[in-house]
Amino acid sequence: MTLLFVGLGLILAGGVAAVAFRRSVPAGDVAFVLLVLSGSGVGLVPALRVLSGGPTVHVAFSGPIPGGAWVVGIDPLSAAFLLVVLGVGAIVAVYGVGYLADERGHRAVAAAHLGVAGLLVALALVVTARSAMLFLIAWELMSLIGLLLIVFEHERRPVRRAGLVYVAATHVGTLVLFILFAVWGRHAGGLTFDALAAGAERLPAAGALVLLLALVGFGVKAGLVPLHFWLPDAHAAAPSHVSALLSGIVIKMGIYGLLRVQSLAGTPPAWWGWTILTLGVASGIFGVIWALAQHDLKRLLAYHSVENIGIILMGMGLGALGLAYDRPAVAAIGYAGALLHTLNHALFKSLLFCGAGSVLRATGTREIDRLGGLARALPFTWVAFLIGAAAIVGLPPLNGFVSEWVVYQGLFQSALTEGPLRLAVFAAAGLALIGALALACFAKVAGVVFLGQPRREAPRGVTESGPWMTVPMAALAAACILIGVRPLIVLEPALRTATFLGDITGPLSGVGFAPLRDAAHWIGLMAVTVILVVALIYALQSWRRRHHAVDWAETWGCGYARPDSRMQYTGSSFAAPLLEACAPIAGVQTHRSAFALRTQAVDLVLDGVVLPSWRRLRVVAERLRPIQSGRLHSYLIYIVATVLALLVYLFAAGRP
Amino acid sequence: MTGTSLAALGIALLAAPALPGIAGRTKAMLTGRTGSPVWQLYRDLAKLMRKGAVYSTVSTWVFRLAPAVLLACVLVASLFVPLDGRTAIVRFDGDLVAFAYLLALGRFGLVLAALDTGSSFEGMGASRDVTYASFVEPALFLSFTGLALASDSLSLSGFLGEPLAAAWSRAAPSLVMIAGSLFVVLLAETSRVPFDDPATHLELTMIHEVAVLDHSGPDLAIILYAGALKLTLLAAVVIGVLIPRAGWSGAVSIAVLVGGLAMVGVAVGVIESVMARLRLTRVPQVLVAASALAAFGIILLLG
Repeated sequence: MTLLFVGLGLILAGGVAAVAFRRSVPAGDVAFVLLVLSGSGVGLVPALRVLSGGPTVHVAFSGPIPGGAWVVGIDPLSAAFLLVVLGVGAIVAVYGVGYLADERGHRAVAAAHLGVAGLLVALALVVTARSAMLFLIAWELMSLIGLLLIVFEHERRPVRRAGLVYVAATHVGTLVLFILFAVWGRHAGGLTFDALAAGAERLPAAGALVLLLALVGFGVKAGLVPLHFWLPDAHAAAPSHVSALLSGIVIKMGIYGLLRVQSLAGTPPAWWGWTILTLGVASGIFGVIWALAQHDLKRLLAYHSVENIGIILMGMGLGALGLAYDRPAVAAIGYAGALLHTLNHALFKSLLFCGAGSVLRATGTREIDRLGGLARALPFTWVAFLIGAAAIVGLPPLNGFVSEWVVYQGLFQSALTEGPLRLAVFAAAGLALIGALALACFAKVAGVVFLGQPRREAPRGVTESGPWMTVPMAALAAACILIGVRPLIVLEPALRTATFLGDITGPLSGVGFAPLRDAAHWIGLMAVTVILVVALIYALQSWRRRHHAVDWAETWGCGYARPDSRMQYTGSSFAAPLLEACAPIAGVQTHRSAFALRTQAVDLVLDGVVLPSWRRLRVVAERLRPIQSGRLHSYLIYIVATVLALLVYLFAAGRP
Repeated sequence: MTGTSLAALGIALLAAPALPGIAGRTKAMLTGRTGSPVWQLYRDLAKLMRKGAVYSTVSTWVFRLAPAVLLACVLVASLFVPLDGRTAIVRFDGDLVAFAYLLALGRFGLVLAALDTGSSFEGMGASRDVTYASFVEPALFLSFTGLALASDSLSLSGFLGEPLAAAWSRAAPSLVMIAGSLFVVLLAETSRVPFDDPATHLELTMIHEVAVLDHSGPDLAIILYAGALKLTLLAAVVIGVLIPRAGWSGAVSIAVLVGGLAMVGVAVGVIESVMARLRLTRVPQVLVAASALAAFGIILLLG
């Protein structure tokens, strides 16, 4: 436990060092990187100990602090998320040093590094807090530092708008969480998580209110459809390494919150499981279709976070259903799938945002249809992005396949049971659709941005990023491959955490997973085989090419003699047939004129519901404006009137 | 793994190029032509393997790696398919997901190779390819789900054979629906009529053909062979569903496989002779209908 605090202290010291040595160029960066890496390394020690089967630890600080004792602890659930926060977070923080290096001089780069360090500490506190007050403080700290990092380029108007929508959405979520813990704490008689868990039975209506409040409060942070509306703008507006942190880690806190509340509230009711599963399928399908419609590289990646949160929710929903229908094997596999996909998504989404950051830094644009042919100029970024793309699509031999496969396993397992739980198997078709659409989407991004020819002359020489950026990307890509070829190294801890989450004991935790373990072993073997067979065939082809005639010619243009790079298929045209097939839900506005076609992606929730209602609300608010006269005596009258009204209420209620 | 399953795999690997040949020959005979011999694809492959290759100056290593990825994926996927109708070389819970995603990886490689050339024709083909695949995948998974329910198993090898033979006696309508859905998946996945026309000569109307327009020589040979093998694997699954071979001897099982493959080739050829290709916008509707068919099969099984 002490090691965690030491680690967090080191990370914070790294942030402070970045500010203190901001004038001495390499020293400040090096100090920041070393302190953050060593801090997260030290902080991960207790987490890994718990994940490998060690006992859970906690420490309580009591005294005159509001909200009762502050307890910090690491159990398997905390440890799993600590691994994401400190492991992936530290790598992305290093990337940030390289990413912001060019900005030094015109923007507050050192402050951004301090912000990233602070964000990591806040995140670590969110997942280790064991009392509501500390949890809420850490939660708010995380949200506010997130805001400061999002508006890093605050002189640009879209960035400010994104920040405003973000802060409004996140505070609505936090408000709901305050209500959640207030209601729960009142019935439980304490605000530590232990007290909440003990008082869970006394909750009215079987805790339905608490679960629904959690769904809204944490759902906003997780970005599940339809509460995702703040997410694409915020993640696109932030600097790329911050986007990686937000998409890879911060939104996972919503998942953590849902899992934590559910584990505190005891065996979930079946409707909760069905709700989560349905929301998961909806988030997945809507997220990927909206992603397909985007023209902006980072917005596209942000919508894919909505999609992947959907896949995680499918695992979670299955877990809850398994518990509700007393099928511990299904529950454990579902939760394990959700946890694995949380880790895997953190890895490949960070990798993809880092790749997008390198593209943005090199070309100065995020417009997919203006890019092209970057594979030659950015060979390293291309390989890293390709690995991330194949991983997010869920293709073997990478990590995304492993977690999606575990979710599939859970869904198919549910089919082999009895009763209503069998219906969950239809979600497998949803997951298949999500996977296929994600493949289409990343074929579009990877193909249009990196392959073919540049669609316009680059404004300045496009060069590959430096080692500060490439080494962290290589580390993330290596992790994606490692999990793909050795799934058991993460499956074991995930199953352990899942059994902890579902409070599953007995023989199942030992023998019951033998087929799953066995199959995971085969998955790893298959991944290695695929890599080896590809390498073998490619080697044979290369050998043959060396001994046979190879000609180089222009791409076959079907007889057209004057090809031009502007004639290439664009991302918009690539996605058009799919979007047409999904027209009612795709949210694409088409503007046609005699000689041009322009499509624009709108968010059906933000632009269709949230902003119009906001405008209507403002009209109403304008009517109330005269109340705020600015004259002191009218405010005094308000106070007196309020006190009087309260007194009348108390007398009427019979409590003088 | 059994000796029979190894022998079946060997036969499938050797016989794969004959399948498109049988389909082509059937179509030729039904339309009153002589047509090319059944062995035409073997000759084409041999010819292409002897040739050199022409690469586009725009293309990168992706273009040259993609055929290797495609072939490797189909080869590894063939290890999971119970070609003799009973058991595959490798079986584990969830190998059906691995099978489907390996085919997806192969497609991802080909689509990227198409975009790598910078040709708008190939971009168009790639775009149509991923569009149809998005609608094929749910149908494939729903069919597999139905088979899992019918056989109480989670692996392709467990689907077929004895549990399936028992399922035929109690859930024949479901299995017919699922087999129908799988056959539609087969036609769409291997770019046959009514989804795509392998015989078309106009780039604008091609789908799979145009996506591999720039490949030549051994690369093209690999792609053609992998396509034929994919057709064989899916055909073997359909045969396995329709003819459960429980308690049959190895030789008979393999004979059924060979005969069944020939029948599928004939069926594909007949469909190509009697149907025109669907309009592009109609294709997703048909594929959704295939998903619905499999879903009805599942509902009957659940009831």
